[in-house]
Amino acid sequence: MISVLALEFFRNAIIAGLLASVACGVIGTYVVVRRMVSLSGGISHAAFGGIGIGYYLGLDPLLSATVFTVAVALGMGELSLRRKQNLETVIGAVWATGMALGILFVYLTPGFAPDLFGYLFGNILLVPREDLVLMVALVAVILVVVALFFRDLFAVTFDEEYAQVMNLPVERISLLLLALVALTVVMLIQVVGIILVIALLTIPAAIAREFASRLWRMMALAVALGAIFTVSGIVLSYILNVPSGATIILVSAAVYGVVMGFRTLAPGR
Amino acid sequence: MSGDPAIDVRGVSVTFGRRPALESVDLRVEKGDFYAVIGPNGGGKSTLLKVILGLIRPSEGTVMVLGGTPFERRHLLGYVPQYRTFDFSYPVTVGEMVLSGRLGHIGGFPRRYRQGDRVAAERAMETMGIHDLAGLEICALSGGQQQRAIIARALVGDPEVLILDEPTVYVDTPTGEHFLDLLTGLRRQMTVLLVTHDIGVLSSRVTKVACLNRCIFTHETAEITGDMLEGAYHCPVDLIAHGLPHRVLGEHEQEERP
Repeated sequence: MISVLALEFFRNAIIAGLLASVACGVIGTYVVVRRMVSLSGGISHAAFGGIGIGYYLGLDPLLSATVFTVAVALGMGELSLRRKQNLETVIGAVWATGMALGILFVYLTPGFAPDLFGYLFGNILLVPREDLVLMVALVAVILVVVALFFRDLFAVTFDEEYAQVMNLPVERISLLLLALVALTVVMLIQVVGIILVIALLTIPAAIAREFASRLWRMMALAVALGAIFTVSGIVLSYILNVPSGATIILVSAAVYGVVMGFRTLAPGR
Repeated sequence: MSGDPAIDVRGVSVTFGRRPALESVDLRVEKGDFYAVIGPNGGGKSTLLKVILGLIRPSEGTVMVLGGTPFERRHLLGYVPQYRTFDFSYPVTVGEMVLSGRLGHIGGFPRRYRQGDRVAAERAMETMGIHDLAGLEICALSGGQQQRAIIARALVGDPEVLILDEPTVYVDTPTGEHFLDLLTGLRRQMTVLLVTHDIGVLSSRVTKVACLNRCIFTHETAEITGDMLEGAYHCPVDLIAHGLPHRVLGEHEQEERP
């Protein structure tokens, strides 16, 4: 096992997993407490459209996915803020439209799309060094923004109406949160892939909610749990020679199931 | 400025889709009033409060709050939202929740709580008798305690007008009485406007009453007249004398629910 750590790809995978855990622990906490799980699902699947566009235009798919996903997230945010549309319906439409755009653009791109499967299901063992640098930058941005806007984000996610009465910039803060979700989603694509992103975003935070009574504690616990899940998932997938993204999710889901089972059998609160 | 009424609603209409929620409603709350707006469920009471708070834009009419628009003045209002619409599953302690009511007074970036904010939070929790619960998570409280926490959050911003939406829904009757005493105490420091479908909460403590069922029926005293009730509830109701136990509407309310 130790000798494996000497391999660069394996080391990179572990680092990528830890970075992703930080992002999904912090932002996933907001996703869970503000009940934006399906919204985040829509945003993550829309990312596939960005990847397809990247292929078609010959850009770095992850870069075009970042721009596209943030734009979609802000658009959905505007729509739900301005016109009180049924957000669930909009999410469903965006979810499928993003995927459809991705499929169409990949089809239109001449030649074969070699790592398409990786974007859909993740391939953390193939994270190149440059992507690690990008991930470090994204995590830094997410942490700094959350630290600076911690009280505003709390007010808006806790009681949006009251935040409005207090004349806080509710609209801007909501859009900021959506942009952060979009950035986190793009980061997680490398790790577990578009289809599995939502699990890594919500499961660590959902388990943390059971044990943490305050927001920052929930974040810290979710980061720790995410780190345990990703690292053990990577190691397991390496040993068993199975896909890493799926293994990470299954490890997370197993722990979630056990925790929920205990909670149901012995209701502590 | 000091001569301005606390709240001045003129000819306000609100329509959701095709359904009118409020029709040319006038409401004038003077400073120092303890004003109660009663009416059946679905009669537009919460909508009226949201118009005053600038959360809903009326399709017609004007709203003035403390001599300005709701947007300019609403940070001077303390709002107690309806208990049942409140999310108590959020991971936050009572102390933090109450403290967050100061955020409207905290400018600068990033927003930080100062000593004065913490003192104000302590004081608000003491007023509401939940001082010893400050460290508890809000979902661990009883319904009555949660309600007090919501009111404490409204008080912590030193509001000039306290606006309460159905404040007694989850408070049982003995506590309800005590609760009204509390509000009466607060009344000396601020104007109070509350809406309720529960006419039983009304008592001699209230200085003015209006009935709201899409249209408003006002009477510049604390008395509820038969006309007002008939107008608001669309059924003849025994005239309720000021100061007597008001249990009559409890039975009517069931029939009136849409």
